[in-house]
Amino acid sequence: MADLVVEGLTVEYPAGDYVVRPLDDFHLHAPDGSLVLLLGPSGCGKTTLLSAMGAMLTPARGSIRHGNTEVTTLKGDALTQYRRHGVGIVFQAFNLVPSLDATENVMVPMRSAGVARADARRKATDLLGQVGLAERTHHRPGDMSGGQQQRVAIARALANDPPLLLADEPTAHLDFVQVDGVLRIIRGLARPGRVVVVSTHDDRMLPLADLVVELVPHKATESTGPKRVELAPGEVLFEMGDLGDRIYEVDSGLVEIFRARPDGSEEILDRVGPGRYFGELGATFRLPRAAGARAEGPTVVTGYTLQDFRRRRQAGTGDEHDG
Amino acid sequence: MLLAALRDLQWRRRRFLIAAIGTALVFAMSLLLSGLSNAFESETAAWIESTRADYFVVKDGQAGPLTGFAPVEISRTAEVAATPGVEQASPFMYVHATTHEGDGFKDVNVFGAEDGGLGWPEVDEGALPSAPGQALVNGGLGFDVGDTMQIGQTEFEVVGIADDSTLNAGIDNVYISLPDAQALFLAGFPGTTIILVRGEPSGNLPAGLTAFDREQAQTDQLRPLSNARQSIDVVRILLWIVAACIIGSIVYLTALERTRDFAVFKAVGASTSALGVGLAVQAVVLAVVSAILATVIGLLLAPVFPLPVDIPLRAMVLLPVVAVVVGLLASLVGLRQAVKVPPAAAFGGP
Repeated sequence: MADLVVEGLTVEYPAGDYVVRPLDDFHLHAPDGSLVLLLGPSGCGKTTLLSAMGAMLTPARGSIRHGNTEVTTLKGDALTQYRRHGVGIVFQAFNLVPSLDATENVMVPMRSAGVARADARRKATDLLGQVGLAERTHHRPGDMSGGQQQRVAIARALANDPPLLLADEPTAHLDFVQVDGVLRIIRGLARPGRVVVVSTHDDRMLPLADLVVELVPHKATESTGPKRVELAPGEVLFEMGDLGDRIYEVDSGLVEIFRARPDGSEEILDRVGPGRYFGELGATFRLPRAAGARAEGPTVVTGYTLQDFRRRRQAGTGDEHDG
Repeated sequence: MLLAALRDLQWRRRRFLIAAIGTALVFAMSLLLSGLSNAFESETAAWIESTRADYFVVKDGQAGPLTGFAPVEISRTAEVAATPGVEQASPFMYVHATTHEGDGFKDVNVFGAEDGGLGWPEVDEGALPSAPGQALVNGGLGFDVGDTMQIGQTEFEVVGIADDSTLNAGIDNVYISLPDAQALFLAGFPGTTIILVRGEPSGNLPAGLTAFDREQAQTDQLRPLSNARQSIDVVRILLWIVAACIIGSIVYLTALERTRDFAVFKAVGASTSALGVGLAVQAVVLAVVSAILATVIGLLLAPVFPLPVDIPLRAMVLLPVVAVVVGLLASLVGLRQAVKVPPAAAFGGP
């Protein structure tokens, strides 16, 4: 049984003068034959996770194992073989090669894997027939609808019959009629011997999934109202990359807003004093915190839910605005 | 990847066609310059051949038979003829002069040859001069048989036409009798400046005379043109560089535009070397198509050049070879771009 197992996966990379960590200690166990749905808004790390599963980026920590293949440590010829035979990818916006017709696009992975031209052409034609494009084999991407292009992309991903299929936002550029056809095909691909992982922010796909992973999980919103937090000097309220649904207002003391630099040092972005607030972007857009927050001295802050915070603002309470 | 490269060529055919025409024009200029440089040699060789002389004998101290002017008595011709191995010896004169053309002048090479001797070219129309006051001229001068032409103050009747008879980069040749040449350029002195020899002299030539073989005569003729020919070579190399830049920029631009394609290719397991081969194929196809176009353009333009242009066969054969090298070098620019594209870039949106 070739299960897909992700353990403690952390991906980080420098972005200008700070470090971004789109995935932090991520875990996943997808049984063989399952359709896994990665749900979450833009920027939450879905594509990063697919890239790591496709052996296209090296994580800082953790492992991805599919069957007996340890994906994160692949190098050289083993890496090339994995990309050719171990994984098929349906890219966002199809990413077909515009100069090649449908058959030739599907032939690309097979030709790269050394399949003879005639055999590759025969199989490509067969695959296009399977995704309902038998009549469009000689059309270029520009002459096809979005749904047809997406089906060509699926056929290309299946060219070398990979045991792992990754699809990045497969319904993002399709209308609802096209979505229906593509979803049926994707659902049918998850069967014993293959794991299908689909990233999307389209929750219409939820009923199809065997396993749903929310990369930014909804935290139960506390309806108990404001939460007062007392911080000792140097105590960290939240780190960069943490998830949180509260906006904090400083009651007393001072809070440092800080960010880690790629060289390991720290940059202090702001010092937030009494009456000012911080952390509203992550809470409003359900994004990981873009910076950390730490008490400089004995400090008291109050955390508000988005609703409470809005009510407070409308009532004219609270002063300055901070990111 | 070969198919993808060729399909991409088709896909961007307008751009590649424009680049091919641009590169072809540059290659054609290079070919024409090769033809120009080669014409100096082939024209001189053809003229030497037309004299039917194996050796050119002149007074000692001259750099060669065609760049010096040192008269010797005509009687010395008989002394040379008596040298063992010499089959025939003829007095001959070569002077640079002008003829009238409309209200102006036109440069001509004037040759004085002995009746029945060596030095006369093949006659294409009319006859060789057989009496004083007659001339045989190059067809390019524009005279017909029976016309009158003037060298200096002296008038000559055109009695014959010799086609393609030029020297000194397309300057027309005019042949007159030796006595006329002596009258014009030696003030009637019964001498000569060159003694044309047929045969292989095995003994010493008469004292005071030096013999130059055909190759030496050619070198003598081309020596004054060496700076011009070196300049042509420099320009030709510059043109190769321009061609490489055109192909390189097209391949580079294409590589920039194909970043997403390259990322997809890599993501599905294509090797960087396979991408490189694809780019190289595009550059080589562009270069070779340009070379073929250039050969056609060169051959069409050569006749309309005011200077003689003789594109050598070796240049036409060499051009595609150089074009392939130029194309391969140019493709390195695009290869650099393809190498640095991460496969994860394939995940990007439109």
